[in-house]
Amino acid sequence: MNAGFEKRLIVVWLALSTITIVQLGVGSIDGRAALARNSAITASAILIALIKVRIIIREFMEVRHAPVLLGRLTDLWVVLTGAVLLGGYLAGTAFPKG
Amino acid sequence: MTSIASTRSRAHGSPETERFVPGQPDMWAFVLFEAFVFTAYFTVYVFSRARTPDVFRQSQMHLDLRVGVVNTLLLLTSSLFVARCVQAAREGSYRAATTNAFLTMLFGSVFLVSKVREWAMEIGQGFTFTTDEFFSFYYFLTAIHFIHLLIGFVALAVAVRQLTSPARRSQVIVETCATYWHTIDFLWVLIFALLYVMR
Repeated sequence: MNAGFEKRLIVVWLALSTITIVQLGVGSIDGRAALARNSAITASAILIALIKVRIIIREFMEVRHAPVLLGRLTDLWVVLTGAVLLGGYLAGTAFPKG
Repeated sequence: MTSIASTRSRAHGSPETERFVPGQPDMWAFVLFEAFVFTAYFTVYVFSRARTPDVFRQSQMHLDLRVGVVNTLLLLTSSLFVARCVQAAREGSYRAATTNAFLTMLFGSVFLVSKVREWAMEIGQGFTFTTDEFFSFYYFLTAIHFIHLLIGFVALAVAVRQLTSPARRSQVIVETCATYWHTIDFLWVLIFALLYVMR
């Protein structure tokens, strides 16, 4: 296998795995038993996840070698997903049930 | 259908690299469609959660974050192997490509077993689909992802069949199957963040 390409795949996998393990810390940063809503944890969880998703799309799915249109479409989805998830969280917070 | 041997060279990292759509464009249309459908599911979940954060958090505490991390690492590793499979096939190393496809299946299978084990543990503790809103979303999102993963195994079987049969080999089909598998991976990355990490 092309040594340069294989090395790049391994580096990408290591980066994604490291970020995932960091999420273990993010998810329990205020203690596993904390009940309170935590907007900082939520926002960072969503942003970190979307960064990972974009890395998977660009590197593993080879979109960085694809026509620009495909890169823009996938980036549009990533940005839109981030916006509606954070917007949904804010909207839900503004209109609590009961 | 394009045979692997006749596929144009795709020399990654070289300045003369030509741009190409990995796999069939139809699969990318499907991937984008699926991605938007899952975004809709996720948005409903996040909105509902933010409206009743206490109920969701109390139930979320019954999930083991470490299991979520391990499951994510399993799928990321499976994605690494399917990416290696595509590259090996592109270079004509069909034996290596097949081995990598089987390794992808192996890590995918361990994920499936781990997920079923987690469901069994939750159900054993009395947390079922109807327990509360959090568990309804938990079972819905993980189950629909599970079904996508099962279809991913069919895609991998197709890729293996392509790789092991010289008369049938098609780089485009192998890339198409890999694209589907990676989609299952990145959807899980979001499910993990929303079910296990967010507050």
